[in-house]
Amino acid sequence: MKKSNILLVDDDEIYLFLMEKTIKSLTQDLVVNSFTDGEQAVEFITACTEKQIDLPQVIFLDINMPFLDGWGFLSEFKKLKSKIENHINIYMVSSSMMDKDKKRAADFEDLTGYVIKPIHEDKLAEIFTEIYHENW
Amino acid sequence: MWKRVFKIFISLYLPLLALSLFLLYSQKKEQIRNLSQYQQRDTELKKNYLQEQCYTFLRDTYYWSTIKYPLDFDPIGNHEDFMKPYLELINGITDYDQFRFLDLTGKEFYRVIRKRSTSIEPDSLQDKQDRDYVKAGLALKQGQLYLSQISLNRENGIIENPHKPVIRTVAPIYDANHKKIGLVVINFKMKRVLDKIKSQIAGNNIYLLDESHRIITSSLFKEDVPYEFKTKNSSMDDIFASNNTIYEKDTTYLSNNHIWSFHPVILNKTTFNFSSVVNSSSEIITPSNWVMVMENPPSLINAYILNSYQGFVMFNFCAIILLLAISYIYEKKRAQKDQFYLEVENKNILLTEKSNQLLENNSVIKDINHRLEMRNRQLSEFNYLVSHNLRSPVTTMSVLIEMMKNEKEPEKLSLLYPKLEQVTTSILNLSQDINEYVSIIDNSEIKVDDVDLFSLIDEVKNDFSETLLGHKTFEVIVKPEAWRNVQFSKFYLKSIIQNLMSNAIKYRKNNSTSYIEFETAYEDKSKVLYIRDNGTGLNLEMHGDNLFKLYKRFHRNISGKGMGLFLVKSHLDALDASITVQSEVGKGITFKIIF
Repeated sequence: MKKSNILLVDDDEIYLFLMEKTIKSLTQDLVVNSFTDGEQAVEFITACTEKQIDLPQVIFLDINMPFLDGWGFLSEFKKLKSKIENHINIYMVSSSMMDKDKKRAADFEDLTGYVIKPIHEDKLAEIFTEIYHENW
Repeated sequence: MWKRVFKIFISLYLPLLALSLFLLYSQKKEQIRNLSQYQQRDTELKKNYLQEQCYTFLRDTYYWSTIKYPLDFDPIGNHEDFMKPYLELINGITDYDQFRFLDLTGKEFYRVIRKRSTSIEPDSLQDKQDRDYVKAGLALKQGQLYLSQISLNRENGIIENPHKPVIRTVAPIYDANHKKIGLVVINFKMKRVLDKIKSQIAGNNIYLLDESHRIITSSLFKEDVPYEFKTKNSSMDDIFASNNTIYEKDTTYLSNNHIWSFHPVILNKTTFNFSSVVNSSSEIITPSNWVMVMENPPSLINAYILNSYQGFVMFNFCAIILLLAISYIYEKKRAQKDQFYLEVENKNILLTEKSNQLLENNSVIKDINHRLEMRNRQLSEFNYLVSHNLRSPVTTMSVLIEMMKNEKEPEKLSLLYPKLEQVTTSILNLSQDINEYVSIIDNSEIKVDDVDLFSLIDEVKNDFSETLLGHKTFEVIVKPEAWRNVQFSKFYLKSIIQNLMSNAIKYRKNNSTSYIEFETAYEDKSKVLYIRDNGTGLNLEMHGDNLFKLYKRFHRNISGKGMGLFLVKSHLDALDASITVQSEVGKGITFKIIF
């Protein structure tokens, strides 16, 4: 069974390193791609749609990033949505527990969830189970 | 209060008093004039009465002188019958007191006297040649009549008692041959006439004087002709020592509050027609030139004008009461009004004070509010910093440490250590940045000076001169048209210029002449500074929200910490200034700072 990609978007490289490590410890079947800002992630998704490459099923999106932040990415993603066939689960990931951010996140219907850093193994497993059911 | 009432009263009453005094005066004058006129008329009436009486007496006498007496006229003897009818006539005229005929030597040859009022009797004949009226009678020419002085009757040189004032008329008599045979002398009783003359009409005093000012009769004296038996107070001059009377003509005048009327009765040398025949007038010869005098004494005048005085007093009394009442009411109203105005004014002052206080409070509150808002914004910014930027590496570190705890293989563990170091370094950097920010927002007493913006720009420009050496041209253009100096913190302003100039240099376009331009202006009475460059510009649609936030970078290929504009905004916020931005990609950026 062929597994789809996971996209990590965060400017914190250590966070990326840790996430990749955690995911790998959970499963070897999932392919993880990571970008350090929203702009690169948008470019990647654009490229995928153009080249008919399968899109990732899950995106973990940080809010605070240079060049294009999480909110900026979501606006750009909305524009690309018409070209995307699959459903993509986007999780907003933030160290912020501020209500302001949570409320803002609720306004985006493309968001699947809001996750607060750090993401532990069991939380990840829960998310994967929800998306892939028992198939991971 | 009463003093003011009195003042108003006086100001109202004085003109009224003056007017009433004037009216009283003119009324008095008019009344005295009326009194004078009445008195003048009365005096004239009395005078005419006296004159009429004298004319009546003289007419009788004229009648006796026109009778043609018989030759050798002897009324007692031969001609008793002739006299009989005349005797009846004499008896009938009750004014006759004595009727006599005198011969040309002055001896009586006929004499009848009235003993009782209804009958006359013959009396013993007397020789009267020494008497003045006989002498004057003998000297009479034809056509002349004599009228004597009024005097008390004397018998044989002694004043008859009771006093009997008489006047004598004398006329010559002629016989049938027109020969003068003697005189007719008639004594007229003057009591009736004098009583009538001195009878008072309206209480005026009446005097009849002879030409020597001796009183003949007066309302003041019971007896007539007092000078004949009295030495004192029988002359007008005795009674009124300072009397400057004019006797020549009718005179009425006011003197010392007495009204005097003098009407001379002058009969001497006047002619009068006593007969029925025209042009046969007789000349009157008389020693007596009388003066009819009337006096209105002060008591009478005062009584006459008493009504005016009463009216005057009554009017003034009423006026005083009324004006006092008016003054009192007016003053009271005025006082009430003043009180009311005063209260209103006081309230107004109080309200104004309160209003000012409220305005002041309002501005203070507004100021405080503004500061609170600012502080709130800063705190929220700080909160954000902590919750995002600080929490993020801390959570990362906690994950890292947990992972290191669970890692059994030393090889893999050694890979994790440098990561931990990396995280701690970033936490350190972050804490330094936060420190810098906190120092800005916590600095409540920033030193504000009158800062010369353009010398500051020159200073900052020199800091970058080394960096710019060997590069393409970069120009700093200044346009200090509107203003040069601004009230601001010199330190903050320098930092702002440094950051903006640094950005303009960093994000300049390489293929053209770059510049940064500082222009001052006034907008809505505020000092405004425009900072323009012709650098790469920015997509504000994408980045506008994050432009002034910490650690936001918008150019991938240019190094930057994402701190510059954040500090600029923080500095401006701290001193209540604001910044806005306008930009287009590839066409540069314009900042507008409003102080």
